Amino acid sequence: MRRALLCALLAALPTGAAAQSSQFGVRGLGYPGRALSAHATGSAGAFGLFDPESSLNPAALGAVTAVTAVFTGVQDFRSVENPAGSESVRAARFPQVAFVGPVPRFPVVFGLSYSNYASRDFSIATTDTIALRGAPVAVNDTLSSRGGLSDLRFAGSYRVQGRWTFGGALHVITGSNRLESRRSFGDSTYRPSRESAEVSFAGVGASLGMILQLGPAFSVAATARSDGHVNVDRDSVRAGVVDLPYSFGLGVRLQASPRLMLASQALYHTWSGANSDFLAQGAPGAENNFEVALGGEYIGNVRRPFRLPIRFGVRYGTAPFLLQPEEQPTELGISLGTGTRFAQQRAGVDLALEHVWRSAGEFSERALLVTVGVSLRP
Amino acid sequence: MTGLVNAARAGRFAAVVSLAVAMLACQERLTAPGECPELCPGGSPAVFDTVLNPVPLSDSSIAGYVGRGSGIALLVSNGLPAANARAVYRFTARGDSVPLRDTLRAYTIDSVAIGLTISARDTLLDGLKLFLFQMPQELPVDSNLTFAQVEPLLTTDNLIDSILVADTLNAGQVRTTLRGTDLEKVAIPPGTGGVLSLAVAIGAPVATGVRLGSAAGTNAATFTTYVTLDVPDTGAVGRQSLTPSVAFNTFVRETTVEPDTTLITLGGEPSSRALLRFDLPPKLGDSATIVRATLELIPVEPILGLERAPAVLQARAVLADLGAKSPVSTDERILVSDTVSSGSADTVRLDVTPIVQFWQAAAERPEALSLTLQPEAATFTRAVFGSTRQPASSPPRLRITYLVSFPFENP
Repeated sequence: MRRALLCALLAALPTGAAAQSSQFGVRGLGYPGRALSAHATGSAGAFGLFDPESSLNPAALGAVTAVTAVFTGVQDFRSVENPAGSESVRAARFPQVAFVGPVPRFPVVFGLSYSNYASRDFSIATTDTIALRGAPVAVNDTLSSRGGLSDLRFAGSYRVQGRWTFGGALHVITGSNRLESRRSFGDSTYRPSRESAEVSFAGVGASLGMILQLGPAFSVAATARSDGHVNVDRDSVRAGVVDLPYSFGLGVRLQASPRLMLASQALYHTWSGANSDFLAQGAPGAENNFEVALGGEYIGNVRRPFRLPIRFGVRYGTAPFLLQPEEQPTELGISLGTGTRFAQQRAGVDLALEHVWRSAGEFSERALLVTVGVSLRP
Repeated sequence: MTGLVNAARAGRFAAVVSLAVAMLACQERLTAPGECPELCPGGSPAVFDTVLNPVPLSDSSIAGYVGRGSGIALLVSNGLPAANARAVYRFTARGDSVPLRDTLRAYTIDSVAIGLTISARDTLLDGLKLFLFQMPQELPVDSNLTFAQVEPLLTTDNLIDSILVADTLNAGQVRTTLRGTDLEKVAIPPGTGGVLSLAVAIGAPVATGVRLGSAAGTNAATFTTYVTLDVPDTGAVGRQSLTPSVAFNTFVRETTVEPDTTLITLGGEPSSRALLRFDLPPKLGDSATIVRATLELIPVEPILGLERAPAVLQARAVLADLGAKSPVSTDERILVSDTVSSGSADTVRLDVTPIVQFWQAAAERPEALSLTLQPEAATFTRAVFGSTRQPASSPPRLRITYLVSFPFENP
């Protein structure tokens, strides 16, 4: 019955659900991805550093007991407001795919994941009137981008004496932006113009992580990551280099009661290292950003903890790429999620609904993010 | 066994969920209003305007392409400043007998119909009348025929008939039928070869002109003779029609204008064409986007022609610069045209964007274009424009509006 309800809920989702793109991803590398599974998203990412289906902490792989494949789709309805007007938009992406599995007879787990590092999907329409041949002519410009950066992670974890788990990962950062600029004229004697370019990225990073079990109910997780830099090629010609940030994360998890688990995490990214690179391109620049999340998971039936738990959380953070100098975007999100496993826990589905508010000066947006995760344990 | 069943259920469920996710992901609407400069990485496209003159002394016109009478229309007028012209048709010989049942039969003419096709006229002019004259057999109707030879023959004695053109008829066929004693007006004397030559003049309250159909336009004059054969059979077989086709047609004009080789002349007959050569600057290389290119031609005098029967200025890209014999593109996508009205000395503008874009895209092609005035040798319009060869005149200009390469912001 519960499964039927879950299916009905999924089927009832509006067909226009859209993705995690944002007007705050127009500048810089795009809107940063969160590398979270639907499971972790349901609690606003508070469990992200402990979640083996997410890609934040390689040490989290230590919790994996069976080979698992995870597929996550994120979609959003977004309402955008800025001085030029407002619009409701939507988009879709698949930001997290992971394959993890333990090595038999060894306390070792390996994982391969593919995460969204930054999303740069947008279409921006502007209008203006310019003087051509001595007469005012209305022009309509559309600048659009499709693509972003992805993070291909090869990770492993090792559990030491039951309490400590260490992990390490190699990250290959790659992707492209397919950019297109279109201009049409109010005077039809001027032909519309269209120009496109493809900007591709390539970089390598590494991360380390650990989880320490302090007693039966309390755990601490930490991670550090360096992404070095990413080479930027435009139409196959080297266009420059952008420094990528160091990232640091700290998380705690508390089993407050047999039915309730609470967690919190904080992430910090040193994007200001790329500030000069962006300023050189004429962009407003970048600043360090952080995210703090607090969430929990309530289990209705402790014997069947994977049957429709209730996940909840709230997060607050800043976005690294500026639209205006000295005006760093902020983001507040509240989440609600659930999930289930079935077929002797060989398969599972997780659902997360998240409402976020983003703003920077006169630019703001709010979005409903719908995250669906499917996991298989063959 | 239970494990297999459960695995199958899991697979089905995963498939359903995956399908739901895929369906959800299929729709996308990303366009949002933008505020510059915050949401305009790279800024806005920059538009520039530049004006080019032809390469000095390389803009010229060449006469002699389509000869008088070889165009798709013949000109007839009554003192029109553009041309005072008369049209002449010579039909093939009409035999004096008709073969029927292996025997040549003599015939009796019942009636004769002569038809003319009006291709263009001043559509606001009422009371237009066409006059048909039979030319004497001794007049050689060929390409050497002159106005001075024809005009004295347009007398009442040679008048066949006049046709009042309906004021509502802008283009189409007009026809007259002769019977009885009027047949004498188109009688072809025996022993002269059976050839009828016809001259056409017009009458109107004011000076005007018409363009009549020609053999090249497959709508030349028609000459139909309805006859009764000299056979005992009084049925339908005895009634036949003879329709000699036009063997030659031309028009003659009172004055002949020799094109000034230091200016750009379009039209006239034999028709003149122009070849303009430009040199696009490097800034208009393949990275620029040309959004509009306008060729501007400055007349040195008001353009002569027939009111409300405009000619068409046509430009084609030149495929190889071989001077007067330069091959031009037949690709309709890079053929541009616009009408040219007479009576004005205003600058004539022609949108040649596709041609300039063609130059930009095919560097091996000459940056040259060919201009013609259509229909060639079949319009009253004759335009003379300034050239770099004539310092006192204003040479052609090519005004190009273009966008430079958009500076996409490299993150």
